[in-house]
Amino acid sequence: MKTKKLVLSTVTAFAFLGFASAAPTKNLNIYCWSEYIPQNIIDQFSKETGVKVSVENYASNEEMLSKLAAGGGDYDLIQPSEYVIEALVKDKFLHPLDHAKLSNLKNIAPQFLNMPFDPDNKFSIPYMAGTVGIVVNTDLVKDEVRSFADVFKPENKGKIVVLDDAREIVTWALLSQGLGINQVTDKNLKQIKPILQQWIPLIKVYDSDSPKTALLNGDASIGVVWGGEGAILLNKNKKFRWVMPSEGAHLFIDSLAIPKTAKNVDNAEAFMNFILRPEISKQISEEFPYLNPNLAARKLMTQKQLDNAASFPSDDEIKKMQIFKDIGTKGSDIEELITTLKAQ
Amino acid sequence: MIRIDSLFCGAWTIAVMAFLYIPIVLLMVFSFNSSRLNLSWEGFTTKWYEALLTNRVLLTAFQNSLIVASATTLLSTLLGTLGAWMLYRYRFPFQRLLGLLIFIPMVMPEVLMGVSLLVLFVQFLNIPLGFTTMIIAHTTFCFPFVLVAVQARLQGLDPSQEEAAMDLGATPLQSFWKITLPFLMPAIVSGALMSFTLSLDEYIVSVFTTGSQSQTLPLKVYGMAKVGLNPQLNALSSIFIAATVAVALAGHFIGKKKIL
Amino acid sequence: MIGFASPKGERLPEGAPRRAPSLVAWLILSPLLIWLLLFVVAPTAMLTLVSFAERDSLGRIIWNFNLQNYVRAFDWVWIKILLESVYYAFLTTVICMALGYPTAYFIGRAPERWRGILLMLVMVPFWTSFLIRTYAWINILSKEGLLNSLLISSGLLEEPVAMLYSPFAIVLGLVYNFLPFMILPIYTSVEKLDNAMIEAAYDLGAGPVRAFSKVIIPLTRPGIAAGAMLVFVPSIAMFAITTLMGGGSNPTIGEVIFKQFTSGRNQPFGAALGTLLLIVFIIALWLTHSQRERED
Repeated sequence: MKTKKLVLSTVTAFAFLGFASAAPTKNLNIYCWSEYIPQNIIDQFSKETGVKVSVENYASNEEMLSKLAAGGGDYDLIQPSEYVIEALVKDKFLHPLDHAKLSNLKNIAPQFLNMPFDPDNKFSIPYMAGTVGIVVNTDLVKDEVRSFADVFKPENKGKIVVLDDAREIVTWALLSQGLGINQVTDKNLKQIKPILQQWIPLIKVYDSDSPKTALLNGDASIGVVWGGEGAILLNKNKKFRWVMPSEGAHLFIDSLAIPKTAKNVDNAEAFMNFILRPEISKQISEEFPYLNPNLAARKLMTQKQLDNAASFPSDDEIKKMQIFKDIGTKGSDIEELITTLKAQ
Repeated sequence: MIRIDSLFCGAWTIAVMAFLYIPIVLLMVFSFNSSRLNLSWEGFTTKWYEALLTNRVLLTAFQNSLIVASATTLLSTLLGTLGAWMLYRYRFPFQRLLGLLIFIPMVMPEVLMGVSLLVLFVQFLNIPLGFTTMIIAHTTFCFPFVLVAVQARLQGLDPSQEEAAMDLGATPLQSFWKITLPFLMPAIVSGALMSFTLSLDEYIVSVFTTGSQSQTLPLKVYGMAKVGLNPQLNALSSIFIAATVAVALAGHFIGKKKIL
Repeated sequence: MIGFASPKGERLPEGAPRRAPSLVAWLILSPLLIWLLLFVVAPTAMLTLVSFAERDSLGRIIWNFNLQNYVRAFDWVWIKILLESVYYAFLTTVICMALGYPTAYFIGRAPERWRGILLMLVMVPFWTSFLIRTYAWINILSKEGLLNSLLISSGLLEEPVAMLYSPFAIVLGLVYNFLPFMILPIYTSVEKLDNAMIEAAYDLGAGPVRAFSKVIIPLTRPGIAAGAMLVFVPSIAMFAITTLMGGGSNPTIGEVIFKQFTSGRNQPFGAALGTLLLIVFIIALWLTHSQRERED
């Protein structure tokens, strides 16, 4: 009996030692969008700090949300969009940030800070921003296009590619009626239903991951796509033109945040601060031409990058953009609405 | 003598193989294309192969995929073969119900399976997400394929041989090993090939059951279309396919031993 | 009794009464039983429970049981979508059978040492990511793609044809990805065909057509049935490839459930749709099975 106890305590002691010696090896588990944080940025961070970074990817905010809500995974850093931050803050899922460790937050343009979804950036910092607008293949579409109404007209039937995203499509219809993008009420949905009924049969392709494919290979000649996609198209060929819809648009802000359950908060904050460095942020922009909220990084970018209308809308345009609020349980209704109309 | 039907079937097979390999040839060609966007030919390069060799993330993910797929194949083949054999050989209570249950993982939409297994692992069984959970999840949707294939082969199996062996004093297990198993081999190999393939390419179930240490290739690749699929993937697939075919051909021409 | 994959029920040949299972038999079957219980029955039961529940704004389950998800699910839209998915799955199965049978027959009758390698060759294309396979097809079928430019330069076409983002593309995508799952099971049935039987058919003066329809196909029916099962069942809920190639304007049942689970944040409703799909499917299996029993 005694020996047994001895063995047991020795084992425990060793286990404890093992644990203690394992603790200083620094880890960071990132749960982020696939293809959004370049690998060489992560490698640079590891090299500089000695932190071992593991990366797990998701393809939509909701995949991340369902996994987080089910209690899966030990994540130290997540990358939600603005409306998800709002929901996560409301449900107390996030760890408050220590701004003393985020000295580089000063590089971010004020227009992206202190947003309604996270006042004073208590829980999140902006990573990349962007908008949704219209891309026109001017070789194939000769009419002037200025608005959603110009896109969704019978002449364009079978030529249109849009994001495969019910919330987006509903947003465009709300904008076309002069309604606020967050007023997803039953009354407003009823009001936009006839609009959508006209629009949806005109659409040829729904694609959220790579709407540029249909435009590049000629199967679509006009599209409503992410700014980053638009930027790639503009860089690729002069025949593509970017149009900010006259009815308005929305601004999305993909952010970084730390879940409450995180075990390596310090490393997560160090990574955030690293990302906020101008020269690092600039490298991200080179790979992913979204709207970079980092002013200091923009100073390091080429004029060509900054002139890309899809990446960088004017400040006036940005001011007019609205930001998504979390619509909670309404998401299911708009999915049903769009599905119903598609199936007709 | 060559009959019309074998001529016809041969020509047909060549056509079907051509159909199966059209996209593969294309991706092999594009693995040497200097354009990143994979859409048009812009010039010859081997830079994707060079980049692939130092791309630790893709290579690790590929290795993880192979680990998960191999373990899944092994487990599914065991479960499916033994299950099919037992259910054929004996009359179990609730046998019809069992037959139904086996089809549920096949028809269940992946997202339902992924999320429900996630909840099961995390909240009830307390298994940390990683290779284990992923292999369990993959096996769950793969083994029915083995089972169905083996079942089809078992139809009309002459039980008298097995009976005879047992009459001569062999245990059921021995008679299975000596008589049934060799007979079932083609079906088992088919089932194993199907499991391996299904597991290698699974995305949705994987998203919900993986941990950060067990990221497989589909998980790494999924979002890549956003910036254009990385041509290194074409390179990786080309190498893998070429290597597999080469090994299989080498085995064919060197070893006379039959596999099936 | 098991054997939904079999066309003729599962009668053993004469004189082989099925035994009651011994203890050893139970032991050998137990891993499968445990697996089914833990990883199939338990999750399915959980889903069924969830389908009667509600959810909060973040998508977490609230255990207030009611029937509202089912009330909502019994709508013509969902039934229509399900029927359409079943239709595509059926079409896929038929085409795979037509394409796959002669191939499987050829491989099964090929010299023994060639069979393994031919089987491998059928499967290997699918050891690539479905994304790159699908984007390769997109490259081939698009308006400015390979096939169109080939047809135009050979003078067969004047104008490029839109092949992508159509029902044709959906079926092509499904057939391409499921074809091996038809070929392999049929192969396993062909492989055990008795040569003497086929020779006898020919000797009796049957042409290839008669030999096939009267002898070969009936003998390989278990393989055909298994292949049909392995293609038909999974292709009902398949959606990633069909959405990419079909353009996403025809929603499929798998996609609808996926979206309710993710962007809809409505797991209970998604689970209700999933449960209904399972029920429809189980009833269909049960009916075909009883039908066969009656025929026997």
